[in-house]
Amino acid sequence: MNGSDIAAQTPFEQEVAQLIVTSLNLEEIEPANIDPESPLFKDGLGLDSIDALELSLVISKNYGFQLKSDDSNNVKIFSNLRSLCQHIESKRKK
Amino acid sequence: MNSINNNSLLASSDNFPLIQSHAASDTIAWHNGVAISRQAFLKDVYIAASRLPEGQYAINLCEDRYWFLVGFSALLVRKQTNLLPPNRAVHVIEEIAHEYSGAYCLCDTNEPDLDIPVHKININRPGDTEETYPVPLIPGRHLAAIAFTSGSTGKARPHQKFWKDLILGARMKQKRFGFGKKSGIQTIFVTVPPQHMYGLETSILNPLINGVSVYTNKIFFPADINCALRNVPEPRVLITTPIHMKSCVETGLEWPRIDLVISATAPLDKSLAIQAEELFNCPIMEIYGCTEANSMASRRTVTDKHWLLYDDISLKQKADNCFVSGPNLPEDIPLQDVIEVINDREFILHGRNADMIIIGGKRASLEDLNCRLRSIDGILDAAFIIPDSDDNKHTKLAALVVSPALDAVEIRNKLALKIDAVFLPRPLYIVDKLPRSETGKLARSALLELLDKMRNTD
Repeated sequence: MNGSDIAAQTPFEQEVAQLIVTSLNLEEIEPANIDPESPLFKDGLGLDSIDALELSLVISKNYGFQLKSDDSNNVKIFSNLRSLCQHIESKRKK
Repeated sequence: MNSINNNSLLASSDNFPLIQSHAASDTIAWHNGVAISRQAFLKDVYIAASRLPEGQYAINLCEDRYWFLVGFSALLVRKQTNLLPPNRAVHVIEEIAHEYSGAYCLCDTNEPDLDIPVHKININRPGDTEETYPVPLIPGRHLAAIAFTSGSTGKARPHQKFWKDLILGARMKQKRFGFGKKSGIQTIFVTVPPQHMYGLETSILNPLINGVSVYTNKIFFPADINCALRNVPEPRVLITTPIHMKSCVETGLEWPRIDLVISATAPLDKSLAIQAEELFNCPIMEIYGCTEANSMASRRTVTDKHWLLYDDISLKQKADNCFVSGPNLPEDIPLQDVIEVINDREFILHGRNADMIIIGGKRASLEDLNCRLRSIDGILDAAFIIPDSDDNKHTKLAALVVSPALDAVEIRNKLALKIDAVFLPRPLYIVDKLPRSETGKLARSALLELLDKMRNTD
């Protein structure tokens, strides 16, 4: 993956990208190279449903709120780093 | 209609009711916070059945468990067969459709983008009904479903499930776990998709045959499971996997009363079982089974080393293989695991055959995954590698690929169409060549060595 033609990460996106890479052991991925607008799951970063569970734990520990499936926006929330970060910002309790 | 008394009726008739233990007003499902009676459910089944296209096979892709249950039942009413794909990868679904002529896709909210006809169940739930609907009778010999596992040749392998056999299997579980016998109607909460055999047996056949009700909204994250349990009266049974249980243990929520938790799809670690029993304050039972032969044994992980077969199920050791037989199986079926038979009723599970991989409850053959990876245009050679496992971490496969034309992202995108996301390799490295021996064989040790080298130069 090269980092030349991707959208720039905001500071909060950098923080969450680092969290994703560390908690999911994405050893071959550089957090700064995650395009905030490209998919996290399946054909993007290649995350799967078990990663989503891991991610929900890390988010609850770091930001103090629980992810839920009945949120009809879930597909959008998990679609990329940017929308995930916006969701965390709007729900975080710490 | 009350519960039918076992084999006497099976022997006296060739047709068996779609629903066997619910009275007309008993709750069979909870959907969007509403209790749905047998009558209201049957109304939906008849409407859905009347709208189904002509055909013999439908790939049931419904994501909402209620509409899956309606679709599954409507297909039986129309004497059609549910095809249950091992995953939602586009090529896998199209490949199955290609094998079964005239097959169409049955879906609910999200219409998949597929190159085969799609029929959408489009019913606005009108709420409960006062009308009485007859419980449909389904021939015992009807091929209710075909479940698929990944073969070793890059093609999904079919396993036929006849209506009578599914009924007999559900009754064995009723006997073992006491489903439907508690005071009040038990509600079961299931974190496994209904297309998976474990999900089908527990969340679709269990309500149809054993008189329980099923919570049908999606529950996946610990907070979903917790909230769902609180919204429905007792008694409650949670049917889940070690992965979900682990995240419930780590999340630190307060849990309402649960009567029983059942785990399957992967071995449950004893220490996790102990923590989960403390957290949920109830027994955690583990089920052993496979797509070919359905569930067949159980144990309480905290106290039992041996697995106890369901009544009427038996194991036979023939040469190197262990075969399972039972009244619900059309023939003796070889098991893919290494099993030590202790006596007539008990066995010890020693692990899987070397080619078999299970991640997140999904099973695949390493050879099958390799076939699919190597079939991508532009890939000259490739191999998946199963890393040394650490039970407490999410196992991901690694892959080494020889491909001058494609980069890792392009390969991952193409592969995502062919295999389940849990098997997508991480990491995936492009290499000049694979460490094949003179006879063309790939030794795991040589692959691991190259993988290590790639990691260090990354």
